[in-house]
Amino acid sequence: MSAYGISLVSIAGINVILAVSLNIISGFCGQISLGHAAFFGAGAYAAALTMIATANVPLALLAALIMGCALGIIVGFASLRVRSDFLAVTTIGVNFLFVGFVRKQGWLGGEMGISGIPATGFGATGNAIMIVALACMTIAFSLYMSRSWMGFAFRAVGEDESAAATLGINARAYKLAAFGIGTALAGLAGALYTFFTQFITVDSFDFVFSVMLLAMVVIGGVGSTWGVAVAAVGLTLLPEAIRFVNDYRLLVFGGMLVLVIRLAPGGLAALTRNLFARGKRV
Amino acid sequence: MYYIDLAVTGVSFGCMYAIMAVGLTLVYGLLRILHIAHAAVFALGAYVTVLVANASGSILGGLIAAIVITPLFGMAIYRLLYEPLLKYRPDVPMVASVGLLVLMQDAFRVLFGEQGVTFRQNSLSFTTFDIAGVNISAVQIAIIVTTVVVFLGLHLFTTYTRIGVGWRATVSRPQIATSFGIDPIKVRYLNFAIGSALAAVAGGLVALLNNLVDPGIGFVVSYKALAIIVLGGLGSVQGTLVASLVLGLVEAYGTIFIGAWLDRDAIAFLALILLLMIRPQGFTGVRTA
Amino acid sequence: MSAVLELDDVAIQFGGVQAVGGVSLAVEAGEFVGLIGPNGAGKTTLIRIIAGLLRPDRGRVMLAGADVTSDPTATRVRRGLALTHQIVRPFREMTVLDNVVLAAGVEHTSSPLRALLSIGRRRESERAAEILASVGLAGTERKLAGSLPLGQLKRLELARGLAIDPKVILLDEPLAGLNHTEASKQAETIADVHRRGLTVVLVEHNLEEVMRNCRRLVVLNNGQVIGDGEPRAVMADPVVHDAYVGGGMVSHAES
Repeated sequence: MSAYGISLVSIAGINVILAVSLNIISGFCGQISLGHAAFFGAGAYAAALTMIATANVPLALLAALIMGCALGIIVGFASLRVRSDFLAVTTIGVNFLFVGFVRKQGWLGGEMGISGIPATGFGATGNAIMIVALACMTIAFSLYMSRSWMGFAFRAVGEDESAAATLGINARAYKLAAFGIGTALAGLAGALYTFFTQFITVDSFDFVFSVMLLAMVVIGGVGSTWGVAVAAVGLTLLPEAIRFVNDYRLLVFGGMLVLVIRLAPGGLAALTRNLFARGKRV
Repeated sequence: MYYIDLAVTGVSFGCMYAIMAVGLTLVYGLLRILHIAHAAVFALGAYVTVLVANASGSILGGLIAAIVITPLFGMAIYRLLYEPLLKYRPDVPMVASVGLLVLMQDAFRVLFGEQGVTFRQNSLSFTTFDIAGVNISAVQIAIIVTTVVVFLGLHLFTTYTRIGVGWRATVSRPQIATSFGIDPIKVRYLNFAIGSALAAVAGGLVALLNNLVDPGIGFVVSYKALAIIVLGGLGSVQGTLVASLVLGLVEAYGTIFIGAWLDRDAIAFLALILLLMIRPQGFTGVRTA
Repeated sequence: MSAVLELDDVAIQFGGVQAVGGVSLAVEAGEFVGLIGPNGAGKTTLIRIIAGLLRPDRGRVMLAGADVTSDPTATRVRRGLALTHQIVRPFREMTVLDNVVLAAGVEHTSSPLRALLSIGRRRESERAAEILASVGLAGTERKLAGSLPLGQLKRLELARGLAIDPKVILLDEPLAGLNHTEASKQAETIADVHRRGLTVVLVEHNLEEVMRNCRRLVVLNNGQVIGDGEPRAVMADPVVHDAYVGGGMVSHAES
């Protein structure tokens, strides 16, 4: 496979992990998060610093995971206090705070970012394989979670917290769990991104990227692991395949988000379900 | 006099935020929707002001054109995007609104260029005065005067005209609109029209202040406006005014102290998040959680 | 102490108004208690205190001897308190069966970690189907809860309450909004549930049904208990009579 192909696979894999992990928070548990890029970024920076200090890959992955999770739980506490659309506003704020903070910190590279991050030693192909493997594991984990009692409880919490309480479900604990798990995975994706590019700037982790990630979740079908994964891959490849989409990326993504919400709120997942349902009648 | 200059800057920024945020708080008060795409309305107002001013040679003409066009845009957003989504939980129209903003910002980039547009002839932006040792520009004066006119006008409108009184009543209690003999749907359109016109005014003023309108103009201001309306108490026009001025001043003075480790634009969000943690209902609002 | 639910001098004040002023109440296992009172008597407030939605200014709420006064609702539910809402809150996006299965899985969902490690639903599904049949909802399992009419939704509320295998079930106006036939059926189901051994506390405006099935009536007025005992005797009490000035309620009860 060409270097270009390997890059594409790597980016797609990272986006899959990001989208599926966001789906855990916003899809399974119904907590709309427009700040996912910040956790991605936190993980990326944690991994970058760890690699520079120790060039130890597993340690970098762990640091990224923990960083993402810790930040996520803090934001998760916010979700306990405010209602859903305000939570979304808070998560937007988290994005701006993250970027605003990092930009000013010299030790984090400030506006210039961090460059010259040591390589993992696996080579581009090795990295890509690691990414794909982790993406598959993330999908598997998400599918498992969906069928488990945790997924069941998440759906209840997402729909009606008070009603969930009357079923003995402690909504607070579950919301924190959703955030912690989802953001830990985002942090992990951040580490993979750092390994891939070996150079990170804070602009890659801005609010617009958070919107794109949520667009992947909405377009794929909120709550559906497969739908979201397919949407993530599709929306990564689309700008590459169609020049027009690449030049007007935000226009297309924003437009798709609006159209899907207006016309097909269930996303791809609902559309395919209908397709199969209709097929069966024949 | 440096500190007073800062105060002038802070107040004028605060005024701009206020005019822009009022539209946002009105929509929230009426429909419980966070109309993030309001930023696109604001940006449209800015673009129209510059483009028409350049075409006609009159800055005032540009502002008037903006005030006429943006309400149409705002009302269209309500009719085409929000109205069909009212039946869902509030995050749904909000996410759609975000999508629309992202789309519009990129559309502006595509249509008018990455670098943006500037006024061809603009003496206003560069005129400054020295009043009693304080440095103040013509635009800043214009901003402050406009804000006073706008808020006074809103107050008079909603207190002394029949439509205005009915509108205000409906915004604070949508259920009683019919007892005022007012069509609640018409009130919604009026709401979007006025809010959008105000956003256009704010947009025009920002264009004058910077002598530039670029595609990113809406983004940061819109999120600050969100922070403002929550801090000021959702649906409260006075609260929005107060919160806007406070934010403007805090930003102006705050950069001296925290500028070392936090971006100016992030201050608004820090304030918002801290406030939401302590008082989820904002300064004056009712608890929504 | 065999008291399943006990309130010990519970009181709460809202902005100067004593909504509940020192209520003490003990419900023994197997009882069927009706809680009534005119509008504004403090019934809803009291329910919310028992449910854990409000923290009293003083006093204790005890469940099977354990002090749950500072516990959140979910914890009380896990300790055996089942609740149904006056305004029903089914999970509309889930099937009728799933609504009850989730309730039946209360052990699994006790903590997120436990929930993540549990995946089988066979036992809970069977139990849920039985419970649905027992409240007269057999055949609706696959339907989306959001598509049911009110009468059936009220029974779903009841089914969910039963599924957690409670020590006591607190029913908040389970007959409200139902027409005469539906209300009769629902009341009969509740009586049936009680006959099978469950402790029931019922808050209801529909005195006719309350009088028919309850063995014990507690009357609340102005945040205080003004009557507690055998239904006929309580309703004949002049103090209780005065509380219901306006007559409608009393004549209804007397018939």
